[in-house]
Amino acid sequence: MNVRTVAIVGAGLAGARTAETLRAEGFDGDVVLVGEEPIAPYERPALSKEYLAGTRDEQSLLLRPPSFWDERGIELLLGERVLRIDAPAGVLQTERGLERPFDAVVVATGARPRRLPQRLPRGVHELRTLADARALRAELAPGIRLVVVGGGLVGAEVASTASGLGARVMLIEAASAPLVRALGRDAGLLLAERWRSHGIDVRLGAPLDSLREGEEGRIDAVVLADGSVVPADVVLIGIGVEPARELLDDRAGTNLFTAGDVTGAGHWTAAALDGAAAARRILRLPVPAAQPAYVWSDQFGLRLQVVGRPADGAAAEVEGSDDSFAVRYRGRDGVVHAAVFANRPADAAELRRSLLDDRLALAA
Amino acid sequence: MYKIVIDRSLCSGFGSCAELAPEVFEVDPGGLVSLRVGTSDDASVLEAAAACPMGAIQVVEERAA
Repeated sequence: MNVRTVAIVGAGLAGARTAETLRAEGFDGDVVLVGEEPIAPYERPALSKEYLAGTRDEQSLLLRPPSFWDERGIELLLGERVLRIDAPAGVLQTERGLERPFDAVVVATGARPRRLPQRLPRGVHELRTLADARALRAELAPGIRLVVVGGGLVGAEVASTASGLGARVMLIEAASAPLVRALGRDAGLLLAERWRSHGIDVRLGAPLDSLREGEEGRIDAVVLADGSVVPADVVLIGIGVEPARELLDDRAGTNLFTAGDVTGAGHWTAAALDGAAAARRILRLPVPAAQPAYVWSDQFGLRLQVVGRPADGAAAEVEGSDDSFAVRYRGRDGVVHAAVFANRPADAAELRRSLLDDRLALAA
Repeated sequence: MYKIVIDRSLCSGFGSCAELAPEVFEVDPGGLVSLRVGTSDDASVLEAAAACPMGAIQVVEERAA
């Protein structure tokens, strides 16, 4: 496969890092980065934090200065949704009828929020894109009643930011603990306490029944499965994401690569590494050893860092205080495989290094 | 002379740069990388920028005036 043209579908972090790495490794063919959102690659994690809080503007979210892409001969094709990729034929087609040939294609379409199977009243939001964040930001104000449906990382971050802006926030979670998949049950329960101590009305084991519509099609209340009715001015649905896999069908050839959230691996740091790895695969360069899973979140005065994958059932050891703690998950073999750190960056770095060293030792 | 800029919002504290060019980069108590100096003559900063998994380091070569 003599690659002269690379098309990257999806202009998030994974796509951006793919394009950058191709150039950094000396690829001098054509590179086109196709993005559905009408904005150059930007820093998505800030949407639920500084951007929503109003302390950073859109321009500051850009991953690279606008001239960066031009200087490297990377074509940005923005506001274009790709409808079809025919990998064997080496051509992709956008919704607006553009066709682009390629020798290799990278699908980095990311993930999208899971949706409720009902029509959403006005005032009900999800948060994934800049447009989502802009719409939510316009509705947050002191004194409004915000209900966050789903105790995941995005929901928790929005709850934190909104309460900082003076909103009255309730967070409902169907499971008996929040953040079980991301943090493990023990750390999730600790976090729920943190949220409560910051004035969030946290309801666990409280599945959503429905969203009640009021006047002019606007949200009026959230109805829980136990029948209780919670008045709401604004609602955020944060019930997880699913990989945007539509473009990956059975016509995938050996010239099709994937990177980032679309693979189901998830999360910001992984997306960057994955993009760089995809570029190196296209160029047939060695790909570095996989890093241990790593996730971070800022909420309620805590910088959370999750290293490894907290597994259900692992024994948890908790130490520290409200403002700085560690929850380590120890496997049956007696080894710490994963941990959640709150305001403990040095500990997080240390565990990351030691897990990476274990991997390298296994690979050697 | 190389001018070095770190995007701290991208930095995830991998620390590869501090290993490759310890006189320029250090991992601070917050777990992110900060610069010991803003410019350097040492080409190891190029390696450090290339090694950053997040692409958080930009290096610009500056001609001496």
